[in-house]
Amino acid sequence: MPTSNYTFMFYGFLAAWMVVIIYVISIALRERKLRQELDRVKRMLEEREQETKR
Amino acid sequence: MRVKIILALSALSGLILAWNLHTMFMQVPDELNQGAAFRIIYFHVPSAITSFTGFYIGMFAGVGYLWRKNLRLDAFAAAVNEVSLVFATITLITGSIWGRIIWGIWWAWDPRITSYFVCWLLYVGYFMLRRAIDDPTTRARLGAVLSIFAAIDIVIVWKSIEWWRTQHPGPVLEIRGGGGMAPGMEAPLWWNFLALVMLATALVIIRMRQVSMQREIDSLRRYAHAF
Amino acid sequence: MNFFRQSWAVASKDLRSEVRSKETVNASLSFALVILLLFSFAFDPSSEQVREIAGGLLWLVFAFAGTLILNRSFARELVNDCLDALISSPASGAQIFFGKCLANYALLIIVECICLPIFAVFYNVRLPQQLAVLFLVMLLGTWGITVIGTLFSAMTVNLRLRELMLPTLIYPMLIPALMGAIQLSGLLIAGEPLGADNQIWFRLLVAFDVIFTILSLALVETVLVG
Repeated sequence: MPTSNYTFMFYGFLAAWMVVIIYVISIALRERKLRQELDRVKRMLEEREQETKR
Repeated sequence: MRVKIILALSALSGLILAWNLHTMFMQVPDELNQGAAFRIIYFHVPSAITSFTGFYIGMFAGVGYLWRKNLRLDAFAAAVNEVSLVFATITLITGSIWGRIIWGIWWAWDPRITSYFVCWLLYVGYFMLRRAIDDPTTRARLGAVLSIFAAIDIVIVWKSIEWWRTQHPGPVLEIRGGGGMAPGMEAPLWWNFLALVMLATALVIIRMRQVSMQREIDSLRRYAHAF
Repeated sequence: MNFFRQSWAVASKDLRSEVRSKETVNASLSFALVILLLFSFAFDPSSEQVREIAGGLLWLVFAFAGTLILNRSFARELVNDCLDALISSPASGAQIFFGKCLANYALLIIVECICLPIFAVFYNVRLPQQLAVLFLVMLLGTWGITVIGTLFSAMTVNLRLRELMLPTLIYPMLIPALMGAIQLSGLLIAGEPLGADNQIWFRLLVAFDVIFTILSLALVETVLVG
C-alpha cells in the first residue's frame, strides 16, 4: 500500500500542477495574441486616418 | 506598478508553497488509515475554498456592475469567475484521485462531490453564455444576472443534495476532513490556502487586464469599420 | 390589480396562438413519447427496478419535453420584431415575464397530464391512490421549471445557439426542484405514505419556487431591457 499510495499522491499533485501550468500558459498565449491584435488594429486605424487626411 | 504586484504575489505564493511542501513531507507524519496519499488534501481543500470565495466575489462584482454599469467591474467578474473555475477543476481532479486512493473508485455520488460538480457546470454555462454574446454591454449584463442565479443556486443545490444523500445509504466511507485533524497537521492547509489565494489574485489581475484589452480591441475594430 | 391584468393579457395571447397552431404542444408531446420509448430500451420496463426509478424517469421526461415549450416562449417573439414591441409596450418586464410564465405553465401542465397515464401504461406502473398529492407535486415542480426556464429563455433569446444554451444553462439550476419532485413522485408512485421526514422535500420545492420567482421578477427587467 505505501508505495502505490505514493504513486497516486504524485499523480494527484502532478494533475493539480498541470492544470495550473496549462492555465498560465494559455493566459500567456492569449496575452501575446491580444497584443498582436491590438497592434494590428491600431496600425490599421493610423493608416486609415492618414488616408483620410490626404 | 501592476507588473511588480503580480510578480511579488507570484513569488510570495511560490515561496510559501515551496516551504509548505517541505513541511508537508518532512514534518507532518503519515496519517493512520490513508498513508502518504492524504497529503492531497493540502491542495484539494484550499482549492475548493478558493474557488467558492472567487465565485461569490464574482457574484458581488456582477451585482456591482448592474448597479454602476462600469465595464471594469464586468472584466473583474469574468476574470474572478474564470480563475475560480480553474481552481474548481483542480478540486474536482484532485478529489477524484484522492477518492481513487481511498475508496478505490474515481467518482462517488456523495453530496459534496455532486453539488460541487453542479457548481462547476453552472459556471461552465456562464462562460458559454459570455462567449455567445458579441456586444460587451449585453454580455456584462446577462453574465451578471447569470452569476447571481448561479451563486444562489449553489447554496440551494448543496443543501438539497445533502438531504438526498442522507436519506439513502451513501458510499461506505464519508471523508470528513476539518474537524478531525490534529493541530499540527492543519497548519499547512491554511498556509496553502493563503498561497493559492495569492496565486489566484495574481492570475485575476492578469486576466482582468486581458479582458479589458479584448474589449478595447473590439471597440477599436468597430471604430475602424465605421469609416 | 393592474399587474395581473397585464400579465393575463400576455398569457392569453400566447395561449390563444398556441391553441390555434398547436405546434409547441405537439412537438413537446412527440418528444416526450420518444423519450419514453428510448428509456424503455435503457431499462427493462417490466422489472421491479422501474418502480424505484419511476419518479426520476417521469421528471426527466417532463424536464426534457418542457425545454421545447420554454425555448419557444421568447423565440416566437423574434419574428417581425414582436419582442421589441412587447418591451416598448406599457407592460413592464416583470408583467411580460409573469404572463409568459403563466402560459408556459399551463402548456407544461397539459403535456404532463397527458404524459402521466401514458407513462403508467408503458412502464406498468399503477397510478397511486394519492393522485391528488402527486398532482400537487407536479404543480410545484413544474412552476420551478417554468420560472427558471422562462427567465433563461429571455436571456438566451438573441443568441445564435439558443437551442443549445437553454438546456445547458437550466438543467444544473433546476437540480434542487427536480430532486424534490423526483423524491416525492417516486414515493407516491410506489404507494408509500409520505412521512414526516419527507416533508422536507415539499419545503424544498416551495422554497425553490418562492426564491426563484422573486429573483426572476426582480431581474427580468434587467435581462430584457438593460
